[in-house]
Amino acid sequence: MAFEYEKYLRMDKIPHLWCPGCGIGVVLKAMLRSVENMGWDKNDIAFVSGIGCTSRAPGYIDCNTLHTTHGRALSFATGIKLAQPAKHVVVFSGDGDATAIGGNHFIHACRRNIDITLVVVNNNTYGMTGGQHSPTTPIGYKASTTIYGNIDPTFDICLLAKAAGASYVARATVNKGKMLEKYITKGFEHKGFSVIVATANCHTQFGRKNKMSDPISARKWIESREIPIDKARNMKALELNDKIITGEFISEEPEQTYWENYNHPIHEYTEAYQRIREKAQAQDKH
Amino acid sequence: MSEKINIPEHYGRWEADITIGKKEDHVTIGYWRDGCKGCGICVDVCPKKVWEIIEAKDKWNGQVVQVTDAAKCIKCMLCEIHCPDFCIKIY
Ligand SMILES: Cc1ncc(C[n+]2csc(CCOP(=O)(O)OP(=O)(O)O)c2C)c(N)n1
Ligand code: SF4
Ligand code: SF4
Repeated sequence: MAFEYEKYLRMDKIPHLWCPGCGIGVVLKAMLRSVENMGWDKNDIAFVSGIGCTSRAPGYIDCNTLHTTHGRALSFATGIKLAQPAKHVVVFSGDGDATAIGGNHFIHACRRNIDITLVVVNNNTYGMTGGQHSPTTPIGYKASTTIYGNIDPTFDICLLAKAAGASYVARATVNKGKMLEKYITKGFEHKGFSVIVATANCHTQFGRKNKMSDPISARKWIESREIPIDKARNMKALELNDKIITGEFISEEPEQTYWENYNHPIHEYTEAYQRIREKAQAQDKH
Repeated sequence: MSEKINIPEHYGRWEADITIGKKEDHVTIGYWRDGCKGCGICVDVCPKKVWEIIEAKDKWNGQVVQVTDAAKCIKCMLCEIHCPDFCIKIY
């Protein structure tokens, strides 16, 4: 049965500004279906983004939305979650937004394991500003700032998130819209920081410089590099340079969430913070 | 078959009786031409070639899509899920 996206969209802002065939639209749709799966009331959602093509997403969604500064979406989101723990806080970021300028905010949000869902749309480039290379541009690939080919190794955003302390981490690509929906839904259900990386095509900027300037060939390039996580375990780092490992990297709900168990390795930040706030308020009364 | 499905009025409409496996069914395909950017993803993902690209002078890249034959549809939903522009509805 057809999905009623209209329910969640500011229809006067549609068609969106993304290029024909841009992967961000596919990820946004998976995200909206996940909201429906959760049965959330629109008023209970806070949808936050930074700057970039990806970060234009909140403009199209009819709920509480916040379009912030480049790289700082997670900081604003953390503030919202601490002030209003009952809100479902969702962040949409590009690979540059989340792991270049916002890299520090990213690792510390993971470390805090705060109950926020981050969807990173990884298109291997800075789409909005003209296709500069990003921390996820594979070695050998061209960008407007690496015209003879990139020599920097990449971040694997999923491994980075896991190492920094995020308790749900998964990756799927725009070729598998249903899989994206499944992981984002699981991220929403998950208590603690969840990171879902959606590998997407930016044929306009990244593709044009790397012989795949149309959406179909850019999507095929992604498809040809997908490797399920179980298979990737036996491969060497260099073999995995431009591969896209899909699947769930970690899914560990924090068991202990209260102040008494603050030292538990995986705790949920919002509740721990709430306890401190209650403690401080109780002391103020004396 | 069943009663007529309501689709948003700005969507064009194709209908057909279909058989999926042995099951008899009915499909209604909705397509929003004004929102379509002619990217061709629906044409690529459809396993049954229900969609085709056609020329459209009014579009900046000169193309949109249309339904070739709704009766070929197997309701896999791949085009609806992967159209980045909210232009396809399969009922
Ligand atoms: C503080 C600051 N520095 C730089 C910029 C310029 N800028 C805008 S978008 C962008 C890159 C966005 O890339 P990414 O986050 O990967 O998103 P995409 O456009 O690829 O979706 C940059 C560098 C800015 N707006 N603010
Ligand atoms: S420049 Fe790239 S990321 Fe931005 S809208 Fe176009 S295809 Fe999408
Ligand atoms: S996928 Fe959507 S926008 Fe692209 S050609 Fe098909 S209907 Fe048009």
